[in-house]
Amino acid sequence: MSSARKLLEMRGVSKHFPGVRALHDITFDVYAGEVHGLVGENGAGKSTLMGVASGALVATEGEVHIDSDPMSGDPDRARELGLAIVRQEPALMPDLSVAENLFLGMPHAKRPSLSALNTWARGLLKHWSEDVTIDPRDHVSTLNPEQRFIVEIVKALECEPKVLVLDEPTEHLASEDVERLFERVRAVTARGAAVIYISHRIREVQAIANRLTVLRDGEGQGTFDARNMSEDQIVSLIVGGDLDRTFPAKASEASTRTVLSTRGFSGPGFSNVNLDIRAGEILGLAGIDANGQREFMRALAGIHRGSGDVTLLGKPISIRNSQGAKRHGIAYLPGDRHREGIFPELSIRENFSIRSPQEDAALGLIRSGSEQRRTVDAIRQFAVKTPHGETPIQSLSGGNQQKVVLSSVLAAKPQVLLVDEPTQGVDVGARAEIYRSIRETARSGVAVIVVSSDAQEVAGLSDHVAIFSRGRVVDMLSGDDVTEDRITSSVLKSTEQRDRHHRPVAAFWKWAASNSAPLVMVAAAILFLGAVAGMWNPFYLSPRSLTGMMTFAATLALVAYGQQFLMMVSGIDLSVGPTMGLCQVVGSFFLLQELGPGSHVAGWVLLLLVAMAVGVVNWILVEGLRMHPMVATLATFMAVQAISLILRPVPGGMIDGDVMMALSMKVGIVPVTFIAAVLLALVLEFWLYRREMGVSMRGLGSRQEAARTAGIRPKLARFVAYVGCSFLAGLAAITMIAQVGIGDPRAGLTYTLGSIAAVVIGGASLFGGRGSFVGALLGAIFITQVNSVTVFLRLSQEWQQYLLGFLILASVALYSKSREKVVQA
Amino acid sequence: MTTTTLNKAGDAPAGNAGFARLSATLFNEFSWIWGGLFALFLICSVVAPGVVRPAALSSLLPFAAILAITAVGMTVVIQQRGLDMSLPGTMTIAGLLFAKIGFMTGSTLLAVPLTLLIALGIGIVNGLLVAKVNITPIVVTLATNAILMGAVRAVSGGSPMTAPAELAEFSHSKLFGVPMTLVLALLFILVISVVTKRSIAGRRFVAVGQNPAAATAAGIPILRYQVATYAVAALCFAVAGMLFTGFIGSASQTAGIDYLLPAIAAVVVGGTPFSGGRGSVIASGAAALFMALLGQMVLAFGAETSVQLLVQAGAIIVAVSVRHLPDLLRWIARG
Repeated sequence: MSSARKLLEMRGVSKHFPGVRALHDITFDVYAGEVHGLVGENGAGKSTLMGVASGALVATEGEVHIDSDPMSGDPDRARELGLAIVRQEPALMPDLSVAENLFLGMPHAKRPSLSALNTWARGLLKHWSEDVTIDPRDHVSTLNPEQRFIVEIVKALECEPKVLVLDEPTEHLASEDVERLFERVRAVTARGAAVIYISHRIREVQAIANRLTVLRDGEGQGTFDARNMSEDQIVSLIVGGDLDRTFPAKASEASTRTVLSTRGFSGPGFSNVNLDIRAGEILGLAGIDANGQREFMRALAGIHRGSGDVTLLGKPISIRNSQGAKRHGIAYLPGDRHREGIFPELSIRENFSIRSPQEDAALGLIRSGSEQRRTVDAIRQFAVKTPHGETPIQSLSGGNQQKVVLSSVLAAKPQVLLVDEPTQGVDVGARAEIYRSIRETARSGVAVIVVSSDAQEVAGLSDHVAIFSRGRVVDMLSGDDVTEDRITSSVLKSTEQRDRHHRPVAAFWKWAASNSAPLVMVAAAILFLGAVAGMWNPFYLSPRSLTGMMTFAATLALVAYGQQFLMMVSGIDLSVGPTMGLCQVVGSFFLLQELGPGSHVAGWVLLLLVAMAVGVVNWILVEGLRMHPMVATLATFMAVQAISLILRPVPGGMIDGDVMMALSMKVGIVPVTFIAAVLLALVLEFWLYRREMGVSMRGLGSRQEAARTAGIRPKLARFVAYVGCSFLAGLAAITMIAQVGIGDPRAGLTYTLGSIAAVVIGGASLFGGRGSFVGALLGAIFITQVNSVTVFLRLSQEWQQYLLGFLILASVALYSKSREKVVQA
Repeated sequence: MTTTTLNKAGDAPAGNAGFARLSATLFNEFSWIWGGLFALFLICSVVAPGVVRPAALSSLLPFAAILAITAVGMTVVIQQRGLDMSLPGTMTIAGLLFAKIGFMTGSTLLAVPLTLLIALGIGIVNGLLVAKVNITPIVVTLATNAILMGAVRAVSGGSPMTAPAELAEFSHSKLFGVPMTLVLALLFILVISVVTKRSIAGRRFVAVGQNPAAATAAGIPILRYQVATYAVAALCFAVAGMLFTGFIGSASQTAGIDYLLPAIAAVVVGGTPFSGGRGSVIASGAAALFMALLGQMVLAFGAETSVQLLVQAGAIIVAVSVRHLPDLLRWIARG
């Protein structure tokens, strides 16, 4: 082995986070042609080590070489040097298809032509398995975790990396796919590359790895030949001989009073769980992640809906929602602190008192003295390191945040305490204090359930431990059996694979959530409305009426394209309406009959330059001043409108008749502007789905972080979007000149709302990533049609607005519902 | 970055929580507006003393007060990460309905609760569409605004209606020399401020706006708060609409249109962020006065309303930038 090339070399790597030493002096080598297993418990430092190797984290000390080239804290460089990482939670863009994700995941040299994209992607997926069930055209958001993971692995394998890092690759895979993965891994090493295989499952690592390195508490425990080690030897290295953490003493005598019990309790991810939790005791739930223990706890907390019998102090209760759980005295300390535990910008005081405000209330109002006193007490009791209670909680370290959340949960005086990952991201010093608080809570008569992926923690804290596997309790440990070894071996030795699970989705919803559904629905609505109006009043279908509608639709469509362009990257531009007005006002100074062609040319150029300048200003406000897009473009809305009004306080400046004639030219009954708008929609649509930049833009709107990993530059892309949006508004203004004929500063105002309405009816998502220029065109046609149809149907004018409002709501509600339905948890 | 804030805070005398609380209440991102307001008064008294004369102020205050009431409603919605574009529709229809019901029943006492009830319904529909059907707030409220403007046309029949005399009288009346509109605005600001800062419901409201997932995990029924937000906003807009109708003496069909942008502008200038949760209706109220005064000052120079609009846009940008100065400098330094 030693003669082989070192593809990854890490020397003396240490990594410190504020208050936590995550890695200490690690030396780690990977040779060409080997599979190197990396094992250790949660929090042992495996992910941190790979973060340093992939450039996502910068080492505090030490150096990293990839194939002899030094690299430090630069993910792009690491990728160029040939390191690819497959994470547990894949970096995919949910609103893009599988094929597009694979496309953006490739280095530029390996990207195929976008016209044969799906065939290419199908070929790639076939490399994984001949009978692969993933359709390359499916949106990634509709895949289940297993399928997403397969896409991620296929993507990584196809890049032919020199070093491939697989982080817990088999968590989401069914057994035949685990076999398939092993074959691929062997193929990778056979071509001289290396694989780093991170896993909890020791048997798997032994089956595939040549060598393995054990990490514990951020320190290397040595590198060994995988085949010379027994499973038990590895387990003892992972766990460590001596306990270097202090846990409080356990419950001295067995309690007899059952506080909470479940019978046949089932829910999403767990089934038929029968457990009893007694007063004064801590019940630990252990198992490999996503085996139902956490889901069980969340159902008790009322966040998921569970079914079955739950009794609290002998009385049957039903937990409908989290509020109901709280009313029954069940308090929950969430595991994902950032997402569910803290209110980041609020003070410690507000974070503390939010779960028990009634303690401070008199006559419905909170007495600040009492709240203050309780906060100070909590800070002191839990030794929260902070100058005072007014500090925003987000500025505290993880451990101190956790102490505040725990103190808040306990202040609600629960009967049952549910604790998910009590010490995740918490430094060693704070851990002991948290353990002590939990034990004291139990001693005071509260029934406590703890979920933790750290076996040492479960062993040290719990009086009883339930082992979960595939959503069921498979083992129960009590008394002297509650040791880390017993828990770890019971958990690790379970090599059961997961069932395939895919929530069936009705065909209608699946179709309604697709990119093309809004187009078909809006087109059908246009034809229907046209047919009804035509039957009612034949004049509606007269050439004159149709020409008029197409003229207006063209203008609305052009500005809607701009809005769509920006919404694709999660932006919004409220200033498009005034921008159109300003462009038109600018034109009204130059495009006059008495002025020569030179002035006309200057007018056209200036008109478009003004539009683009507005876009640049918007971009600077959003990107530079970090203004919310709505606030930024609202400010430009006002400013641009003001400038128009200053230039032309009252409408004036008759546009040259020849210009008007040219702009209102027709081919048959179809205005040239409408033809141009249709062509532009097709060109832009082609660009959006068939050009690398268009696909990148959609990826950026769908998930910025994943897009960045794929090498997309968000600032540049948003610059293009803002300027492009305003430019299209400028084009719309040109077509508007023919309708207005005079410099009117207010001419464009209604187009802001019109453009937003058109794109959302056309299927765009305000969150970005979804949308279509053809959809925007159809939306614009539909709105124009609704505006004119009321006249022909002899409906009173207000119907114009009723129809518009209800149609927006109906279409968006349908899209929103369908997209929710198809998303796989 | 988190450590630096902690260290800076660590320099303060530890344990002096009362002082810390006081200073956090007095000096935060919402206190900028008071400085701005003070400075504006000073500038006005030097360059355009006519604007700050009592007579000029008392003609300005009613409109500033109406703007403040709309800004209060907008603030609570922005605290829930939303935006209520149905302000024009709600405000206009409220003025019209009030006049219509007032004339039909001949009783102002009946017209007020009925109008408010309808506004409550509008707000609840907005809230349910946002929170339950999961449609982006701006799209929901744009759509309901369109529907409301249709209703405005249907109710008014296309022509303005005279306001009932009682309402006109009430809108112009004074309480101890203070215009009634201002009294009501202060009442709104005070009540909503106390409720959001001091009551249990208000604390939960802030928590839901700041982090809905954490609020759910803490056992707070978030749907109720999200819906109530839009209901409160609609009530504010309706009251503003009624007052406006009374003040100008007739219910127009465009009453609310000129209030949408200034209301949002006032919230932004007041310092309520779009990140949800935190916010200050007092600051929004002060900002409403600031914007009105700024507008008057510009007009006093003989400028057109267009310049007023430009200055307001500038105020928004300045207001946002001063709060982000440190970030901005860093951004420029990085290129």
